[in-house]
Amino acid sequence: ADAGGGPALAAAPGRAQVFTTVVDTFLEKLVAAGSYQRFVNCYRCFYKLQPELTRSIYDQFISQLQTSIKEEIQEVKNEGNLEGLFNSLDKIVEEAKDREEPAWRPSGVPEDDVRSAMVPYCLKHRSHLRRLLKEKEEENRKVAEAVLMGRDRIEELQQLIQARQQAWQ
Amino acid sequence: MSVDPMAYETQFFGFTPQTCMLRIYIAFQDYLFEMMLVVEGVMLKKLDGIPGCQVSPSQIRKCTEKFLLFMKEHFDKLFAKMEEMLLQLVLNIPKNVLLPEDRAQEQYPYSKEEFQALQDELQELQQRCRAEAAVGQALRAELEEQKVVKAELEKILQCFDGLESICREHGAGNFKESFALLTQNSKKLQGVLKDVEEKSKKMKQHDQSM
Repeated sequence: ADAGGGPALAAAPGRAQVFTTVVDTFLEKLVAAGSYQRFVNCYRCFYKLQPELTRSIYDQFISQLQTSIKEEIQEVKNEGNLEGLFNSLDKIVEEAKDREEPAWRPSGVPEDDVRSAMVPYCLKHRSHLRRLLKEKEEENRKVAEAVLMGRDRIEELQQLIQARQQAWQ
Repeated sequence: MSVDPMAYETQFFGFTPQTCMLRIYIAFQDYLFEMMLVVEGVMLKKLDGIPGCQVSPSQIRKCTEKFLLFMKEHFDKLFAKMEEMLLQLVLNIPKNVLLPEDRAQEQYPYSKEEFQALQDELQELQQRCRAEAAVGQALRAELEEQKVVKAELEKILQCFDGLESICREHGAGNFKESFALLTQNSKKLQGVLKDVEEKSKKMKQHDQSM
């Protein structure tokens, strides 16, 4: 147990850290299994002839194996951008930590799944159309007013002309 | 034993976790075999250089097989352990976690019917917009026609007013001229009035068809 005033609990290691640790552990145990003792036991005939060379061969073998394995892991990490993805996933998992219910998962039927993905766009489109319609209706109302006024004016002019006509009969 | 396809993880990582592990397994295994061949090669070469050597190549080969067998056994066991840990701890998405790209799925759980209703509403709105646009066009066209008709009617009115002022200026003395002028203008007026009537008719027809 921590004494009073001890350091705060370290945060649980992220996926990147766990990944590295697991791989390193694998390598450690593999190297431990393939010990020099074991190597010599298998190559006893050669060891008897060339003990120093045997040691040197073994050291190189282990060292090269470790290097190759570590390089391969690094390549896999780079290709897949694993470091970045691990950190993202850690964040996403952290944000969901208070949530207990199972989350949505793809149903396997793309048509069903794509529906909800499209809904936000449809809603945006709908509000855009509603706004547009309102604008057009308002505009048309104004123009209709002008048209009605124009008709009245024309009628007025026609009446004035008729009056003049009659005056000249 | 059912194999978990880890489809959601694949969606996130861009690869299937199991495939990734398989790739790594094959690569590691290849390196192991390669290194062993190199070891064997070095030993054989050395023995080649020793005259009257007691150790034969086939003996070395047997040693290699023995060591390799042993290594492979441990390798497989250790790798299985590593794979299990990685698939469980690192390359997995917990059941309660929703990827950000799928947020819409929980925000807008629309059923087929609800979605269709939304689509129908969009279509209806689009049609109404088109209808309003057509109405707007027709209204503006009438406005243009009205302008022309108004201008002509105002011209006629001006003609009449012009006549009046001419007659006033010339008084009774120039009655003949006035009268001739009158007749001329009368004819003009009649022509213009006819035009206006025709245009009016056209506009009324247009009204009825709207």
